Amino acid sequence: MRTDPDAAQTLISDEDFLKFQEFFYRKTGIQFECSKRYFVDKRLVERIEATGSSSFRSYFTMLRFQATGEELQHLTNLMTVNETYFFREEYQFKCLVDSILPELTARRAKGHPIRIWSIPSSSGEEAYSIAIYLLEFWKGLAEWDIEIISSDIDTKILSAARQGFYSARSIQHLPARLLNKYFTHTDDGYQACMDLREAVEFTRVNLTEPADTRSYRDFDIIFCRNLLIYFDELSRKTAAQTFFDAMRPGGFLCLGHSESMSRISSIYKIRKFPEAIVYQKPLESR
Amino acid sequence: MAIIKIPKTRTAGSDERRRPRDCAGLVAELSDGSPVARRWAARDLAECPDGTAALLERLKQEPDISVREVIFTSLTRIGHFAAVLGLVECLHSEDVALRNEAIDALKQMPDEVAPVMHGMLMDADSDVRIFAVNILESLRHPQVESWLIEVIESDPHVNVCATAVDLLGEVGSSAARQALAHLKGRFPDEPYVQFAADLALRRIDED
Repeated sequence: MRTDPDAAQTLISDEDFLKFQEFFYRKTGIQFECSKRYFVDKRLVERIEATGSSSFRSYFTMLRFQATGEELQHLTNLMTVNETYFFREEYQFKCLVDSILPELTARRAKGHPIRIWSIPSSSGEEAYSIAIYLLEFWKGLAEWDIEIISSDIDTKILSAARQGFYSARSIQHLPARLLNKYFTHTDDGYQACMDLREAVEFTRVNLTEPADTRSYRDFDIIFCRNLLIYFDELSRKTAAQTFFDAMRPGGFLCLGHSESMSRISSIYKIRKFPEAIVYQKPLESR
Repeated sequence: MAIIKIPKTRTAGSDERRRPRDCAGLVAELSDGSPVARRWAARDLAECPDGTAALLERLKQEPDISVREVIFTSLTRIGHFAAVLGLVECLHSEDVALRNEAIDALKQMPDEVAPVMHGMLMDADSDVRIFAVNILESLRHPQVESWLIEVIESDPHVNVCATAVDLLGEVGSSAARQALAHLKGRFPDEPYVQFAADLALRRIDED
């Protein structure tokens, strides 16, 4: 496999890169800046060679028109980093406590808990991060009840999430103070404390199955980060519509930093907060 | 106040179902006054191919964009001939949003669209033929290039040919070379066609 940067540069021209950049954004919502050129070129060259394509052009044609879409999926997996850890994309949690929750609570009568849905749960890092952030950084918790529900299609990973064991890599971005407060050191890593584990309800859900999601209603905030990039276009639209029905009017949807709802559906309103861009179910909608 | 946990995910406060969830009930619910009920009916009708005509009929009058999006998704999921024909019919609409949504839906149904693509490319309305070429732009089907060649060989409208030749510049192979040369002869006084055909030929030669 040829991996040296010079080889990649000779194979992927500036024009090729721009064409690929536009196409990939249209298909996945992922926007690669020119600063990511080496990263993108390297992976493109890898796939051009692995598929036996004679040039970027023939590979690109295959990518666009392959009936199964298999190569696009393969390339998408390669272009995305599939890992999760505590406080990943922390700016969205800051947005949650500094912008989203103050706006939600300002228009909400007390007495009903604020409901948060985190999907996919994976091994629970995101849901527990939300819980820690609320406990540590949201004063409103003194006045409001919060429910956190975290779902995944994989029952094994849900079981792991409930147990809350994590590697050192998984907790590496947690400040020491929070690590000591919410985790106990075990022989081979860390375990979330009982209070934290009891703060999250883990449930099994297939997001693309209406029978599974029908009962998921009245959420105020949904975190669905770095999942839709793995879906085909139809499944992405279905997920966007499912979230719409799962949310209260005015509810907020947080996607991964490289994902864009604008490329999937026009039913959401774009909200630009100081910390992050999120998507809102219009208040006037039902 | 605290982070609380409930034993089971809460469902809607009250059961809003007023009609049975069989196909006939769902079709009736498409006319419900509540967009929530219409959205759910449209979603569940994806499992009822017999509801295709009702979904297409609703599409023409549905004012709520969120319901409309679900109708398009369900028609795409149903994907049979009547659904495809109904979506193709939307290409004749004066409603730009409806047309664009139909184009997006058709792009996602390569196998189902293939049998009607020739008909779309022969439509009497040149705008519809341009929309058909727009669909080809990301239709995952091995015949894309041959359809584009068919367009530049025979379509009498310069704008339809210009749209097709643009795309051939990206995806054309040596199979398109003769048709591109012929196209230049058909439109000798159209500078854009000359430019785009030359560009496509150059790119093919570079391969």
